[in-house]
Amino acid sequence: MESLAENIMEELNCETVFTIPVLNGIGVSESVVITWVIMAILVILAIIFTRNLRVENIGRRQLVVETAVVGLKNIVGGIIGEEGTKYVPYLVTVIIYLGVANLIGLFGIKPPTKDLNVTAGLAIMSILLIEGASIQKKGVKKFLKSFAEPVAIIAPINILEVFIRPLSLCMRLFGNVLGAFVVMELIKIMVPPILPVPFSLYFDIFDGLIQAYVFVFLTSLFIKEAIE
Amino acid sequence: MTSLIAIGAGIAALAGAGAGIGIGIATGKATEAVARQPEAEGKISKLLLLGCALAEATAIYGFVVAILVIMFLK
Repeated sequence: MESLAENIMEELNCETVFTIPVLNGIGVSESVVITWVIMAILVILAIIFTRNLRVENIGRRQLVVETAVVGLKNIVGGIIGEEGTKYVPYLVTVIIYLGVANLIGLFGIKPPTKDLNVTAGLAIMSILLIEGASIQKKGVKKFLKSFAEPVAIIAPINILEVFIRPLSLCMRLFGNVLGAFVVMELIKIMVPPILPVPFSLYFDIFDGLIQAYVFVFLTSLFIKEAIE
Repeated sequence: MTSLIAIGAGIAALAGAGAGIGIGIATGKATEAVARQPEAEGKISKLLLLGCALAEATAIYGFVVAILVIMFLK
């Protein structure tokens, strides 16, 4: 039992891989390195798939890529509406990154979303985008005024919402991925070979993709609300 | 002290009960809605997914708190 607890604790913490020797050394943790790997994979795939694109007589590869891109764009664009079309590329990027990051647990690599700092960063980017969209649409004056709507007395709650939204986005993603990870590790330790497979289908694939979708869904819902 | 921490983590994990009830009610209502109007299934399942994600969040908070209790009070 002791070794089990130690095992899980070991899986939980995120180790520093190396330090950049500037300003007392900046620690680069595992999640950052894995994120770099994911970025490299996605960029290389993007370059490979977008070579030799044609308007007529398209190849099978181009058909697959076009279907995937249009499908993802429709998913996000359907939520955010006509007005928020310019935010769709960012949100699609986030959904692809989160999808890959959550699925990478399948290969025995720690998913970067298991690190609270990664999800916090994503959530902060989301809230900046939401408030930025609101300011761009309404102007600073109307943006400040929108906190006192519909009545001035709920202004504190509206201001609180600015902090609660990223917190809940961040905690939801982090908790889900961490929870799935811990349960999977427990199952792997308790009943090794075959039994983890069906659980892995749910926890690693289904749950990860659902959470990526939910994160982007909520962000685009908030943006839509902000630019209304 | 260790047993007290374990009890605390267990109490924090009770948050899962609320999420279970919430998702159960939501799914039940969604089933009723689909039975009544099968053509609206796409919209209903989308809303159900969102509702489940939001309801599930409370359970996740309980889990995160339980983990934090174990990790920081050790």
